[in-house]
Amino acid sequence: MEQIGYTQVQPDLDAIFAALADPTRRAILSRLADGQASVNEIAAPFEMSQPAVSKHLKVLERAGLIERDIVEQRRPARLKADNMAAAVDWLEEFRAFWGKSFDQLDNILVHMKQTEAKDKGHE
Amino acid sequence: MSDVTEYIVDRLFDAPRAMVWRAWTDPELLARWYGPGVDTIIHKFDLKPGGEWLNEMKWGDKSDLSKAVFQEVVQEEKMVWHHSSTDADWNIVSNPMMADWPRVLLTVVTFEDAGSKTKVRLTWTPLDASEAEVACFANVMGKMSKGWESGFAIMDEMLVEMRADKA
Repeated sequence: MEQIGYTQVQPDLDAIFAALADPTRRAILSRLADGQASVNEIAAPFEMSQPAVSKHLKVLERAGLIERDIVEQRRPARLKADNMAAAVDWLEEFRAFWGKSFDQLDNILVHMKQTEAKDKGHE
Repeated sequence: MSDVTEYIVDRLFDAPRAMVWRAWTDPELLARWYGPGVDTIIHKFDLKPGGEWLNEMKWGDKSDLSKAVFQEVVQEEKMVWHHSSTDADWNIVSNPMMADWPRVLLTVVTFEDAGSKTKVRLTWTPLDASEAEVACFANVMGKMSKGWESGFAIMDEMLVEMRADKA
């Protein structure tokens, strides 16, 4: 499984996957993909209280999927792309493991069949 | 929830069962296809109950080690093994990328005739797993189910955009 070169700390994939398990949090991430936003701005489309949104943001922040500005009062949140990429890559590789391996096995079987046919031809 | 604590892959191979079995059990052939786009080195392959398959996958300067301990072998029909990540001395360790990934996965592979073809089914189930391990496995498996695909597609689009922005 490929590791991301520049993150000093290994992304915590358990935390990332747990954070991504919730549809609201995925929607928040989609929103943040369009650019940074304050809690108010994030809460607006969700019919959700600010504290509820703040809770979700905390989970995302702990998972390293977002970071929040500590200087600005409204503490806008923005996406941290590298950790997200690590999680997606891991899942992609995991999902592809048997599929890609089996494609390779297909090729070998074709080869084995050809060899067998050739051997039979010589008998 | 039980459906997500099991990972099943079905595949039809266009070859007779004896040949597919050989491709799975001859270490030289197995090394040629096992592992996607990596160099696979099989350090040991002892196909009998209690026997070990010590496997190394190399890509770039990275290496992934795993151990399978065979539990059941029925010629051309079925193989059962316990699958784990290992350290350099082949001791079982937790997954280097995910601490809560189940340390032992019960792997069952069955081979069945389907006309002139062969149907292979591979099943992964966490073995003697802690609650955290089951949750982690279910979580990852859940993401691979349909419901998550749409969320996943959004994520992929986002990543493409973000990578494009960075470049």
